[in-house]
Amino acid sequence: MSISALMWLLLRSGIWAGIGSLGFAVLFNVPPRLLAGCAMCGAAGYIARLLVMQLGVDIEGATLVGALIVGCGGELLARRWRAPVPIFTVSGVIPMMPGRFAFSTMIGLLRFATSGPDASSQMLVEASLNATKTALILGAIAFGIAAPSLLFQRHRPVV
Amino acid sequence: MDTRRSTNTRMVDDKSLLTYEDLSAIIDLTLWAGQLLLQHGAETQRIEETVHRLGTGMGCNWMDVMVSSNTIVVTAISGHQFRTKLRRVPALTINMAVIDAVNTLSRRVSTGELDWLQVRAELQRISTTPPRYNRWLVVAMVALSCAAFSRLAGGDWAVFGVTFVAASTAMVVRQELTRHHFNTLMMVTITAFIAALVVSSATLLGLSANLELAMAASVLLLVPGVPLINAVEDLIKGHLVTGMAQSMTGILVSACIALGLLLAIWLTGVGGL
Repeated sequence: MSISALMWLLLRSGIWAGIGSLGFAVLFNVPPRLLAGCAMCGAAGYIARLLVMQLGVDIEGATLVGALIVGCGGELLARRWRAPVPIFTVSGVIPMMPGRFAFSTMIGLLRFATSGPDASSQMLVEASLNATKTALILGAIAFGIAAPSLLFQRHRPVV
Repeated sequence: MDTRRSTNTRMVDDKSLLTYEDLSAIIDLTLWAGQLLLQHGAETQRIEETVHRLGTGMGCNWMDVMVSSNTIVVTAISGHQFRTKLRRVPALTINMAVIDAVNTLSRRVSTGELDWLQVRAELQRISTTPPRYNRWLVVAMVALSCAAFSRLAGGDWAVFGVTFVAASTAMVVRQELTRHHFNTLMMVTITAFIAALVVSSATLLGLSANLELAMAASVLLLVPGVPLINAVEDLIKGHLVTGMAQSMTGILVSACIALGLLLAIWLTGVGGL
């Protein structure tokens, strides 16, 4: 892929991901002064994930990188704007949620169950592959956004 | 004796002793703040720290907090006096503005900027502030989000349009069912069902070739992102019980999304089945 095509892909995806995060921020009733931060986190995380995937890393590893970016970005914005970190991270990782893999898992299992004599083990293999990808991506997202707080906020427990 | 507690008591020894009535007032205010956080989707660590900070900021020597999935227990301690109170907390919707406001409040109390009366007034204001965004704005923004995700997943403009319509219908259904106090799992199942029905009917009309993308994207508005993220956060930070409860919520909601989709697919027979 040429550089300009790559840039265009990243820009386009970043805009869509930003819009996606913004919509969920509105759903979660995020105060207006913080909305831009949510969109920025969403766009940055998704662009990072896409870039790493273009380098040949598979989607699970790339999601971990993207979620780390969202986590660090959320930490920075939270300090700058004096707001709780989850406001930025929760809406920021929404574009990376493995909705399609979860959907494919379900449809695959349903096809396997209803296909009668045509059922093949290949269908089951495909469904479990999708299920594993769903779980790994979810784990990568959760660990990625939890990691910055584990690294940077190691104060003595308050409670 | 717990060494951590003894150090802390020494640190705050200069605080004057509170009366029984004072402790009652403090415990009511801090429970109120904790309840607001738990109801609107804060993670356990944040609730414990906020309640503790508020209580010690208002003059207690120590606060002990226990958070479960739908209950908070707080003990406020001043010298040898203590009071304990338990409160049941019904879950409400995710509301980040409330979490932000309580967070700001606890910081202002711990710097000594607010007195008790002001804390009470502020909590009253936070609890009664209606959601900031008009419901139709929320519908439009959420539908736009879902449509954006269908584009990210590789859909064309037809998929984008179908997803937008299906997601906005689903969002209106969700708001109505929530308003009429339907059980959450019931609400999720019905909403996913309706979203899938809209996508299916669009496909029957020949509007879009790629049904699966639109279907997967239009139910994204139901994805239990906050429970799943809070679950991992709680589990990592050692709050195993609330973490397990949150994961179970996430799993149940996901299963209900799948159930709603399945019902629609069975009913319409679309989707290559």
